[in-house]
Order: sequence, then structure tokens, then C-alpha cells
Amino acid sequence: MYKLIIKLAFNNAFLRLSRTLLVIIMIAVSMSMMLSLQGLYDGMTISMIDKTKRSDSGEISLYNKNYRVSKALKDNIPNATSIAEKLEKRSDVNAVVLRLKAEGLSSTARKSAFSTVIGIELNAEEKFGEFDLFLKSGELRLDKRGALLGSELAKTLKVKIGSKVIFSTQDSSGEINAMSLRVRGIVQTGNISLDNSAVYVERKKLQNFLGVSANEATQIAIRTDSLVLQDELTQTYKNLDVKSFLELYPMMKQMQEVMIVFTSITFFIVMMVVFIGIMGVMYVSILDRIREFGIMRSIGMSYALIRSQIFLEALFVGTLGYIFGAVLGLLALLYLQTYGLDLGAYADGMESFGYSSVLYATIKLSYFSSTFIAIIGASLLSVLLPLRKIKTMNSIEVTKVDI
Amino acid sequence: MFSLALKNILFYKSRSITTFILTFISTLLFIVYVAMMDGSHKSILQNSLKVYTGAIEIYKKGYRDVGGNDYLLHGVKEIEKKLSHVQGIKSYTSRYETYGLLSHKEYSSAAMVTGIDPSKEATMSQLKNSLIEGSYLNASSGNCVYMGADLKKKLHVKLGEEVSFIGSASDNSFAADLFKVCGVFKTGAYEFDSSASFVSRDYFDTLMYSSNMASYITIKLDDLTQVDEIQREIQKLLNNEELEVVTWKTLMKSMVEAMEVDSIFGYISMSLFFVVIFFVIMIFGFINVSSRVREFGTLRCIGLSRSNIRSLLIWEIFILSTLAVLLATPIGAYIAYYYSVYPIVIEGMSETYKEYGIVSDELPFSFDLFTITWNVAVIYILNFLSVIYPIKFINSFKPIEATRHV
Repeated sequence: MYKLIIKLAFNNAFLRLSRTLLVIIMIAVSMSMMLSLQGLYDGMTISMIDKTKRSDSGEISLYNKNYRVSKALKDNIPNATSIAEKLEKRSDVNAVVLRLKAEGLSSTARKSAFSTVIGIELNAEEKFGEFDLFLKSGELRLDKRGALLGSELAKTLKVKIGSKVIFSTQDSSGEINAMSLRVRGIVQTGNISLDNSAVYVERKKLQNFLGVSANEATQIAIRTDSLVLQDELTQTYKNLDVKSFLELYPMMKQMQEVMIVFTSITFFIVMMVVFIGIMGVMYVSILDRIREFGIMRSIGMSYALIRSQIFLEALFVGTLGYIFGAVLGLLALLYLQTYGLDLGAYADGMESFGYSSVLYATIKLSYFSSTFIAIIGASLLSVLLPLRKIKTMNSIEVTKVDI
Repeated sequence: MFSLALKNILFYKSRSITTFILTFISTLLFIVYVAMMDGSHKSILQNSLKVYTGAIEIYKKGYRDVGGNDYLLHGVKEIEKKLSHVQGIKSYTSRYETYGLLSHKEYSSAAMVTGIDPSKEATMSQLKNSLIEGSYLNASSGNCVYMGADLKKKLHVKLGEEVSFIGSASDNSFAADLFKVCGVFKTGAYEFDSSASFVSRDYFDTLMYSSNMASYITIKLDDLTQVDEIQREIQKLLNNEELEVVTWKTLMKSMVEAMEVDSIFGYISMSLFFVVIFFVIMIFGFINVSSRVREFGTLRCIGLSRSNIRSLLIWEIFILSTLAVLLATPIGAYIAYYYSVYPIVIEGMSETYKEYGIVSDELPFSFDLFTITWNVAVIYILNFLSVIYPIKFINSFKPIEATRHV
């Protein structure tokens, strides 16, 4: 019997081919567009978070208790090197870097701009966050007074590779001091504050310039997969400020939440409209065949079997729409993941807000699973109203209806 | 045809109601969404313009690209005299900007120190209105400095205390002085508040040897929409190849581009809704037409032509779309207007997004009749496009064939 029901459902689902095709196209097109948008938006947020972690905070960062408010050199971590050595020995820590920062003024012969000099060790940064991927032009070298400049800062100062830049700031003794630097490379980290102001130099050289000891640093950044490390470090280093990435960048959390709300609302509205579309087709399809159902009921077929047949019809249409939509969506996502969406015409605007001018999509299995549940759910729900019509009909009367 | 179309609309209620509701929702959604998006973009740009950047600025060519004392404007008074003849200019003033180090006790910070005409500047920007402590500058303020709140915090300086300044004068000589903190401002623009400070031009010119010189002249207009015309007029009036007259669109190119990108994403998101709604309206139109094949066959048999059938279906969608649009447009326009006057307030938004130039918690909508008109036109076009396939379908039948259709 069930074999017959499946056969009936399949044949009836494609009885009016144009109508069914329109529904399938509607599901496929809307689904592929939705998947592409979701992948692109997620890709933007994930890329921004990833770049921020790699270029600055890691998963956890340690500061002197006063540093994040004062930004003063005196509020540094005096025993940073020994803390970093201990952290590096832990199995749950993937990478550790020490950074020394000082705010000041970068000047060329003609231009000046506010900037932050950051003392780093290139090898450690490479291990920490693949620093070479941030290089936009020039080379990654800090030797012989070499410096790497943030991309927006370089634009403000109108400097090129090889240009000379003077950085002035106050050293640890309170004296105004200046260092002459040669631009070796321009980096674009995707972290607006760094791109706008960072001047990367060798940490040891900066320690000498600022007059701080080799053990001192203003930040210890940690890459880890551990979810409990932050609590542990907070307990161990009670005199330090132990902050997670989201605590340091609350805006990122908010951006993620806004994106989730936005895509959920979009998803819901699109599914509601898709639901109306499927329901319209199923309703008319059942009304067209109301005499057929009356005859089936009259010859003894139970309501449960008719219900199964109609559910199966909706399921066939929904599944087919989903399959086409998933294939189209996957192709679009693969294209956007590989080649990206090139917004080079707006490069200045994108880069000044921390985005790359080419946006790449991300692909998650959850896009397909949640869409599958939504489409199948919408398909099955769409037949509830037509089913009520069949349940309440008088079998004898409907066989006489002239459609 | 009109009365027949009206009769059909009333007879086929479910199709009519669905088309009406979907058209109503999409029109309302489009008007409100675009008003919100445009409003927030305009607000960000206008706030930036209000804070410091002028609608039009005049530079010596090379100052913006190369910079430095070789590219300072000379003969500022003569240029200003010419500007006084230009219609549409509300006010103008010259600024002498320099970068240097400000220090107080053991604290130092890089800062932009600008010489301004305090009375003219008060009509140009939000500087005077942003006063939170002490007093604003005047022509006789002497060595008083008017400082951003975040810069004051960085320097750990109090009102009335002195800060030392080190920079270079207009002749590239070394310039150093002591300024007294007389006033503190907070515009909400974080970068500006943490780096900018102002001194009265009369005093600053003696220190920087910058009399009748300026980094640029900034101009405020009566009507911002006239910016391009006035820019051309000024350029013509100055008639000087060495000068460049640039509008805020060039000065804030990055921000304008970022807003454009945001708009593109907004329209892409909206297009998703439209595609789905377009299909649903088309499906319902198609279902309706396919269930009326015999009826159309009969109409053809009694003398109606293919174009009559086409007109009938177009009339049907026209009536339904017009009714929905007529109801949705005033509601959408009212929402746009209401929130343009009473903006939505999102507490903490400016603090969270300060690095993106957001200086206010208010999210105003834009109320623009032209924008509303093209929003409605888009919905109309989509609705008309949705009947193309049903028309083609029904006109593919021969009259006799259609009357026998099951």
C-alpha cells in the first residue's frame, strides 16, 4: 500500500510540471542567494576576528593592571620574559609573544601623524599569527633601523618603501626622544587601530630606545585552544590584567551578535515567503484533485493514507528544491571562497574600516543543515491547511463537484 | 478591461489577498530599510562634517599629497575677500595646523595644534558647542589652549595648568612654548578628542611666523547639496592654478566609499527578499491563470485578442499593486519621517563603534521623497515583471484548445 502511496505522491507532485518547477526554482534561487549572503557575511566577520587575534590580542592577553587605561610606559609588566617562558612550556599554549608599545608622533620631512611604536620579534610573531600574510608591500625586515608601517599610517605620511620616518616619544625617564627609521615594509593587518597607527620595530631596539630592561613588555599575548586557561591565569597572576579576546574587543562580539540576529531575521522572513509560495501551490493542487480524493475516501482509503500521500508530495517538491538550491548555493559559495567578491573600486573605504577589498565567503555545514530543516519544515507545514479541507469534506458531495 | 479585471480580482480572493499583502510588505520594508540605511550614512557623514571637516576646503596644490611648509597658503586675506562675494557660502575661516609634542610633567603626547580664529570657528564647527570644562577661546586668549578631553586625560593635566609644546614653525625653525589649558572639549569623535588642541590665531601666528598664511581655508555652505556648483564657482573666482578647491566628498573619500559599500550590501540583502517575493507573486499569478485557461479560451472565442488578454492581466496586477502601494507608501513615508525627526536611540552605540567614526547614539532615518518614489517604482516594476510568464503561458493556447483544457 505504501509503495502505491509513494508512487501516487511522486506522480502527483509533477502532475502540473510548470507549477512545480516554479516552486522548485523559487526554493533553489532564494536558498542559493541566502547561503551566499550568509557565507559572505560570516566570512567577513570571521576574517576580521581572525586577523585581530593574529595581529594583536591572541585568545588571551596579559597587561599591567593600569596599562589599558593609562597607556603609559611605566605601567608595563616588569617580569614579562619569565612569565612568557613559563607560558611557553604549557601544553595548552600554542604560541606566546611579548610586545612593547609607546604612543608618539611619526614624521617625515613634510607630514606628521600620531602613531604607536610596537616592539616585536618577527619570528615569534610569525609563529603567533603568520605575520608575513599581513605584508602588503616591501619585505619583512627590521634590521638596520628598519620599520614596518601600518597601511593607513603609510598613506597618511605618504611614505614608500625606503622612506625615512622619525618617531618621537617620551622614554621611561620622561625625556622626549626620537629615533630615525627606514620603512622596509607596509603591513595591512585588518585591525583598524593598528593599520592607522602601528610602527613595528625590533623589540630589543625599542627597549634600548625607551630605556626599559630586556624583561619588560607592555603586553603578553597568547594563542590557545583552552577554554579554562584564562581563569587559571587570572588566579595565578593576580597582579595582572588577564583579558580574553572578546573582553578586549567587545565590538567584535556585538558585530557577531548583530550578524546572527540579522541573518536569523532574513532567514525567517525568506522562509515565511517560501512557505506562502509552497502553500499556494499545494492548496490549488489539492483543490484541483478534490474529486479524486473524494473517490479515494469513498472506496475506503483512510484519511491517514491520503495525508501521507500529500505530505510526501510536499516532501518531494521541497527536497528537490533543496537539492537544487544546495548545489547552486554550494557552487556560489565555492566561487566566493576561492575568488571572493572583488570590491577593489571601494578599496580605500574598505581598508579604512579594516576590511580587505576582496571579501571571501566561508562555508559551514550548518548553513545546509539549518536550511534543510527550514525548507522541509515549511514544505510539510504548507499542506496543513489543504489537509484540513480534505478532512472536513463530504466524500460523496465532492465527487459531484465540477471543477 | 478595467471592470473585468476588477471583477476577477474580487472573484479570485486568495490570489488577490496574497499579491496585495506581499506587495504591501515589500513596499513598506523597502521604504523603511532604505530610509534607515541612508539616514545612518548621512548622519555619520554630517556628524563628521559638523565636528571639523568643511564642506569645501581650499589648499595650495601639493599640501594634501606632499604636505609641509612649502605648501602653505599665502595671501589668505585676499582669498577670503574673494570668498565674501560667493553666494551660498555661510561662513569660512582659515586654519594653521601643525603637529608637535605636548608635555606635562612626566606625560607627553603627540598632538595636532591648530591656530584658529575663535569667533569664525564658532560658526564653522562644533568646537565651541563641545565645551565641557573651562572656557572657549577668544581673540585675546593669548597662550590659552583649548584641548580635547581625551588628550587632557592622556597628559594628566588640569584646567589652568601649563603644557609645553615642541614643534616646527612655518619657516622650519624650532618652535617651543608653554600653553595654559583654558578649556576642554568633547565632540564624541574619539580620535579627534584624543589628539586635537586649538590656540587663538593671533597668538599662534607670532609663535609660528604664520601671519596671513594657513594650512587651508575651510568653508561652510547654506545648502550642502549645492557643494559641486559652489566648488566650481570658487575655482573660477580664484583663477589660480596653484590652488585646489576640494569638496567633502574628496576629503572624506574613504568614509564615502565605506558608506557606498554598506549600501551595496544593504541592497544585496534586500534583493533576496525581492527575488522570493517576486517568485511567490508570479506563482500565485500563474496558478490563477492556469486555473482560468477555459475562461480565457471562452473570452478568445467571443472575440478578445491576445493583446486584450494581456491588457486584462496587466490591469489586474496594476490594480492590486496600486492598492498595496497606495496603502504602504504613506505608512512607510510616515515611519521614515517620524524617525528622521525623532531618531532611534541605541545606548552605547557611539562608545562601541567610536573607531568607525560613530559619534552619536542616535540612528536617524532619511526622509527623501525622491528615494521613496524610486523605491515604489522598483516594486511596481517587479510586480509587472511577475505577470510576463503567466501572460506568455495563457497566450500560448489556441482558443478552441483552451476551452477544452482540463
